[in-house]
Parts: sequence; structure tokens; C-alpha cells
Amino acid sequence: MKNCIITFRSVTPAQRAEDTLRRAGVRCTIQRTPKWMEEKGCGYSLRMDCRDLMAAAMLLRKAGISFRKAYSLTEDGVPEELRL
Amino acid sequence: MTYLDHGATSFHKPQAVYRAVQCGMENCANPGRGGYTAAMTAAKTVLRCRQQASSMFGCQPEQVVMTHNCTHGLNIAINTLVKPGARVVISGFEHNAVTRPLHARNARITVAGRKLFDWEDTLTAFENALQKGADAAVFTHMSNVFGYILPVEELAQLCRQYRVPFVVDAAQSAGSLPIDMEKWGAEFIAMPGHKGLLGPQGTGLLLCRREPASLIQGGTGSLSLQQDMPDFLPDVSEAGTLNVPGIAGLSAGLAYLKCHGLEKIFAREQNEAKRCAVALEKLGFRVFMGENQGGTVSFIPPMDCEEAAQILADNKIAVRAGLHCAPLAHESAGTIDTGTVRVSFGFDAASWQTGNLLLAAGKLARQS
Repeated sequence: MKNCIITFRSVTPAQRAEDTLRRAGVRCTIQRTPKWMEEKGCGYSLRMDCRDLMAAAMLLRKAGISFRKAYSLTEDGVPEELRL
Repeated sequence: MTYLDHGATSFHKPQAVYRAVQCGMENCANPGRGGYTAAMTAAKTVLRCRQQASSMFGCQPEQVVMTHNCTHGLNIAINTLVKPGARVVISGFEHNAVTRPLHARNARITVAGRKLFDWEDTLTAFENALQKGADAAVFTHMSNVFGYILPVEELAQLCRQYRVPFVVDAAQSAGSLPIDMEKWGAEFIAMPGHKGLLGPQGTGLLLCRREPASLIQGGTGSLSLQQDMPDFLPDVSEAGTLNVPGIAGLSAGLAYLKCHGLEKIFAREQNEAKRCAVALEKLGFRVFMGENQGGTVSFIPPMDCEEAAQILADNKIAVRAGLHCAPLAHESAGTIDTGTVRVSFGFDAASWQTGNLLLAAGKLARQS
């Protein structure tokens, strides 16, 4: 399974996003955003299967929950920023 | 003790509230500051409270800012909308929590509507004042002294018509009357967590339709490299560690209200207040009662009101006397020189409370 990460500005939108995605059946885990992913420092993100990423982004937009960026992680853990 | 001072704070709260506070203290670390279980439990506790409030008060969870009390929320709202020297319309029944922040900003205040329980007077006066131009309006939903329920929906409509942003002080109505930020179009609605919402002291909510100005600055657990406060809700107004055990208790209070229903609670409060008012009048006191009155009644005893409240306290009746931090309301009602004794019912309003009060009030009447 290839992992993807969606980042958020703070814990509140990240939690709301987790709630929204789980209700829609999308598996995800909330975590602190790795420091190098958040250039403004400190934030939360959701980790999920990359196959769910597009659906997740659509669900979040529909729910009015704004996110910052999305990344895919290679098997070696190397991140690649995605355009959604 | 017969507790009839819910206007100051609710007391003898539902057991679930005490348990939730303890549970919060035992299980919650700092929300938004870590990814470990105790920090995430805290974050979940806070989010649950935001979600409950958003569903009860017609807004989004992010629009619910956690404050220390209603005064804190009002200060944030007024600080955002009222620039120094701004023209502000307020009702004649505002608390010092509204008038003092306005005074501090040298606001040019127009007091509109000073007749108790008179919606026509309130609405006419507001319309006249708004027509002349205003930068903001601030009004209470229910007078903390007299229980007068202002025509908030109609006032909101007037403010929208004249494009005047407005703030509602829901200190006495939250937990008893319906509140809907989206429907009313209010910029801000401030409320305490520890009165009708049944949470512990040190809690409050500010519903924000727009991003407020930061009243204090500091850590938020977000965008830490940036020296400006985050410009998004709720972080913009939540610098520093939140009162998570208090918020856990508030969440339990909101759950209690949802389960028991605001309408039923309000009906009990109002019913007891009416019975109490009629009976106090029969005892010979000057009682302030009328249409559009909630669960709060004020009366003037034949002796000094503080002395009367002390006699009631000696008879294990807890009420509040004096000016109730609302001199403007007393000026409007013509009671500034005497003050009043205030009886305020809450979620546990019951006929035995009214009975105990009237027994003690009977002694008061005989002593005079």
C-alpha cells in the first residue's frame, strides 16, 4: 500500500477532516505533520492509502474543510508533493 | 439551600458535568500540542464540545471559540467591531460586560429602548437609532436583572436591513432559548459556559461569523514559525492552553441540555418565575413582571435590598441583590437608587423552590 498525507493548518480542521473521512468509510490516521512538510511550523495531517486520496480531497472540499498540501510517500519514505 | 441565583451561575449541576471535569483532568493533556494519546484525547474533547455547540447554535465547529466566560467573548467581539470613537447602538438593558468595553473604546453610544417588556418600544427605538447610522450594535438576548427577553430576531432583521454588524450577548439565554447565528446573521454571539449551559466556571463560547481580532497573542499549536497570530478560526482567538477539564464539563452540560430539551427547561423556568412574581406581588412587594419575561424576576422589598437578601440567605434562600453589574438596566427601569432583589430559576426549576422562597419572603414582609 502506498501512503499519502494531507496536511492541515491546525488540529481542529485535521480532526474534522478525520471525522468526515471516517464517516464516509475512508480509513485514515491523524498525526503531527513532519516538520519538513510544514514550512510555517507545527500542524496536523492525515495519513491514508493513496488510492483514497482523490476521494478524500473531494469529500473535504464538499465539507468546506480546507487543507494545505498533499504528499505521496514512496516505499522508501521519500515524499513527493501532489497537485490536487 | 434553595438556590435561585442561576443568573450568576448554575449550581448543583448535573452529575455528568462533575464526572466529565474529573475525567478531563485525569485523561487530557494539551490539545493541539502533540500526537500522543493524552494530547489527542484532549483535542477530541475540545472538538466534541465545538461540534455540540455548532449543532445547537447554528454555526460551524471552527466558528466556536472557547473563552473564559461571556465577558471575555464580548471583549473579543467588541474589540473587533468597535474602533475608537465608533457609533454603537445598544439596548437599555445591557450589562457592564458590554458597556465597559465600549466605554474603554470611547464609543459614541446610543441607548435604544428603555421600556421594560415592551417590544414595540425596543424595536422603534432601535430602528430610529440605526437609521441615523451606526458602526455596530450590541444587545442582550435577555436582561440579567429583569428577565426581559428582547425581540432578538426582529432586532437582527433591523440590523441586517441597515447593514449594521451586531453582537448578541446571550449570557442569560444560552441553555434556555433558541440561538441561531446563521439565521440571525450576527457577527458574534457571546455566552458563558457556566450558566445555562451547565459547564464549570472559567468556560465560555464565542460564536464567530468572521475572524475576530486577537485580544491576546501567544502559542496556538499552529503555524509556529509565524510571528503574527494565525488568521483563521478558532486559533486566532485561542492563544495559550485551553481549559480542557472545563470544556469537558461544558460538553457534558450541552449533552444534558440536548437530552432534556431547551423548550422544556425554559417552560419550567418561566412558569416558576411567573408563579413567584404573582405571589411576591400579593405579599406587597414591588415586582417587575410582564410579557416576554424568562426565568428571572426582580422585586423591591420594603427594606434595603441587600438586607432583604441577607434575611433570605439566613433562611437558606440564595438570591442576588443590588445592581447586578447592570446600572444601565436599573436606570432604564428607574431602580438605580434602590437596586432590586433578583430571583433567577435554572434548569432544575421546581415548585418547591418557589414555595421555599415565598415562605421566607413572607417573613420578610412581616418584618417590614
